[in-house]
Amino acid sequence: MVDFPERGGRGRLPLTVIGGYLGAGKTTLLNRLLTQTHGVRLAVLVNDFGSVNVDADLIANRDGETIRLTNGCVCCSIGDDLAFTLHDLADRADGPDHIVVEASGVAEPNRLAGYAASHPRLALDGIVVVADAETVRTRADDKYVGDLIRLQLASADVIALSKTDLIDAEACRRVRRWIEGEVPRARILEAAQAGHFTEFLFSGRTQPPRPACEGAEDHRRIFATWTFTREQPLDGAALRATIAALPPAVIRAKGFVSLAEAPGRRFVLQLVGSRWSLEPEEAGTAPAALSLGRSVVVCIGLADQLDTAQLATLFAPTSPSVFPPAVAALLRGEKSP
Amino acid sequence: MPGPVTVFSAKKIITMDSAVEEATHVAVRDGIILEVGTLDDCAAWGPYTLNDQFAGSILIPGLIESHAHLLDGLLWAKAAYVGAIDRRDPSGKLCKGVNNIPALIGRLKEIEARMPDATTPLVGWGVDPSLNDPIVPITRHDLDEVSKTRPIFLLHASCHIAYVNSPTLALANYAAIKAPGVLRDASGAPTGELQEVAAMMAAIKAVAADMIGGSTDATQFFNFARVAQARGTTTIVDGGGSTYFEPAFLKAALAATAAPDFPARIHAHNNGITVPTADDMIKFAAMLEGKGNDKLAFGGLKILVDGSNQGFTGRLRPPGYLGSGANGLWNRAPDELKELVPALHKAGLQVVAHCNADQAAEAFIDAVAIAQDQKPRFDHRHFMVHGQLLDESLLRRMTALGIHATLFSNHMYYWGDFHRSHTFGAFRAAAMNPAATALRLGMVVAAHSDTPVSPVDPLLTMWCAANRISASGRVLGAKERVSAYDALKMMTFNAAFLLHRDHEIGSIRVGKRADFAVLGHDPLAVDPTAIKDIPVRATILGGRVFPVAD
Repeated sequence: MVDFPERGGRGRLPLTVIGGYLGAGKTTLLNRLLTQTHGVRLAVLVNDFGSVNVDADLIANRDGETIRLTNGCVCCSIGDDLAFTLHDLADRADGPDHIVVEASGVAEPNRLAGYAASHPRLALDGIVVVADAETVRTRADDKYVGDLIRLQLASADVIALSKTDLIDAEACRRVRRWIEGEVPRARILEAAQAGHFTEFLFSGRTQPPRPACEGAEDHRRIFATWTFTREQPLDGAALRATIAALPPAVIRAKGFVSLAEAPGRRFVLQLVGSRWSLEPEEAGTAPAALSLGRSVVVCIGLADQLDTAQLATLFAPTSPSVFPPAVAALLRGEKSP
Repeated sequence: MPGPVTVFSAKKIITMDSAVEEATHVAVRDGIILEVGTLDDCAAWGPYTLNDQFAGSILIPGLIESHAHLLDGLLWAKAAYVGAIDRRDPSGKLCKGVNNIPALIGRLKEIEARMPDATTPLVGWGVDPSLNDPIVPITRHDLDEVSKTRPIFLLHASCHIAYVNSPTLALANYAAIKAPGVLRDASGAPTGELQEVAAMMAAIKAVAADMIGGSTDATQFFNFARVAQARGTTTIVDGGGSTYFEPAFLKAALAATAAPDFPARIHAHNNGITVPTADDMIKFAAMLEGKGNDKLAFGGLKILVDGSNQGFTGRLRPPGYLGSGANGLWNRAPDELKELVPALHKAGLQVVAHCNADQAAEAFIDAVAIAQDQKPRFDHRHFMVHGQLLDESLLRRMTALGIHATLFSNHMYYWGDFHRSHTFGAFRAAAMNPAATALRLGMVVAAHSDTPVSPVDPLLTMWCAANRISASGRVLGAKERVSAYDALKMMTFNAAFLLHRDHEIGSIRVGKRADFAVLGHDPLAVDPTAIKDIPVRATILGGRVFPVAD
């Protein structure tokens, strides 16, 4: 069994940006994130402190524009200066495990995402843009904010489609198709099912994947995971090509991999929606049980869309072949060069 | 018991009041104008002391800077001015602009040589390469020529960019900072240019920590008022970014302005910029109402709708920015304005809206139309700040709804050429800040400097509105030039009207405050192109003389 570490310690502090236009449903999502049980000490930075609506019995204490919850989460106002607030959280010894920043309704989330690079500990985990299924298409043609709405959608790693319960299934399909046309390779989740959103945000932290062998496992109705394991180092170029080609159904992936090109080192793969990185591991973050040379990649996606056979095919070329490249290509059914 | 009467004599007194347009003497008692006319007219009030130190000068109503920021005073207190534009510091000393990199390096070397120790960071402000000739980026290599050991931090005039040298990059550990605003050269090393706060933050914390966080330093208030006073200003607006609702800040502001030698009145807008919600804005405005003193008043609630035109962040109607067709950013969403503006309007507040480009203006006008529909109000005096791309259609909607404006006429001079070639193109550059059309339509129009963005100097602003000449000498939109009289009215009575203060300041009339500017020449008689060069001899504030050093 592979246990992924739960706490970042003094290492990487992931930051998620939640954007979307006014009234899209950001606050509803944030309120859920704050109060659900997910075992992550979360700091949520909001624009409008007054809109935070948390049951009184979940509040441990309240100090000005900061609420501490009994589950270890903190919610505070962004204040005048986001950078200042973020640096303060990153510098604290008792800081959070994960930061979620609410972008204002008129913010371009990419600009905020830049703040994740303003401190050595902070790392952008992903940009989630909430879109109102009922109004997003009309808004995208609005003379005042149409360009902004399109910009926000385009900057999303994952689009959370809200208020799908207010429209019928056909209208919902139409808006999804429209978004897919506007934002190629868009990863779309329905925020009405956002009860499971925390799992998406923090998966890989709080839900260590069980299977040590390849295979899909339906341990939630919405999400399914598929794990790829190899005992031999992978071909870096092939792995990068595979990751870039992953279907939109894969909304999150995480892994520790060994690459043939860099023996003796280990790399960390992070994928949130269309954003991914493959970077050398910080010392001591990999599970102790994971032997060097071994690679484990967990893909998480929507249960009804995740095509595990397709994933297996996509990952197949990442193992360096024992045959010369030309022969390996022939074996894969490609024409010889 | 009324105090003693002082009669000021002048070569000519321009009242800006149509009942009596000119006079030679003005009698003042207890800070209030008692009489305006001849010496005999003044003598009718009984014994007086004649002050004839300005007998050879021109007296006009004290000039009013209708949009500025207290930040100007803080920058003078905390950093050295090294910008491209000539500015006078609070002591009156002229800081000549440096508009190329060798000159900037030379200026920084002079400042560096005067610093007492080897480690204190050198912090400068006001830099703007778009005003340089040639326009080239400033890099750490340039600043390393000044010092390879002392950290250097220069703030752009817009406050959105910083330029730093290698010691600052090392001290703030930029090797570990990957923010996209940290510009990098081909080798991947930071160039020294840091764009936007995310990129600047580490450097600010390391070398310029006192530039952030609500300073309560008394010097900022004095500096702010002194620089303005030296150019004839008796009332200056602090345009809405300050936090007077914080007790410590309010206490500092009250203490500074209560000093008898405090040289100008500050009119502070309530903060709708960093305060997020209508409820809090209304609460803070109510809390501050009447909390000022003789030289500090609160009025108007300032909101930001878009960004800045020279920064390409103003919200434009199609076809957008020249060439790219890009558009700027919203600081408040139009849908939010539709609720925020009516809420403030219903609460009886005066809304002061920063709208730099025309789409922002349109969104604000839409919001006021909703407010007026929900609750018609007369004489609310909501006004627009900047309104740089207003056209006749927008202006007519504004006059119909009762919205007035203070225009950013200084842009014609400082950025007119830049707008023509980089942001708006020929037509829209000529159409900027249409004061003549706005006045013709009956709008009450003022103009402003937005200092620290451009220097506070109401005579220069008046000159810009009357001449519309760019720095290269091109006249932009000749038909939108206004007469010297109208330009002076924009900087006096009209500005007072926008502040709901026209019953007490803005013209020389019996019963109003004795606030005057004392000039070396008659601004209505000189060639309009000479208005900006008129010397200011003094200001008189509530009857007290505040000299201006030669």
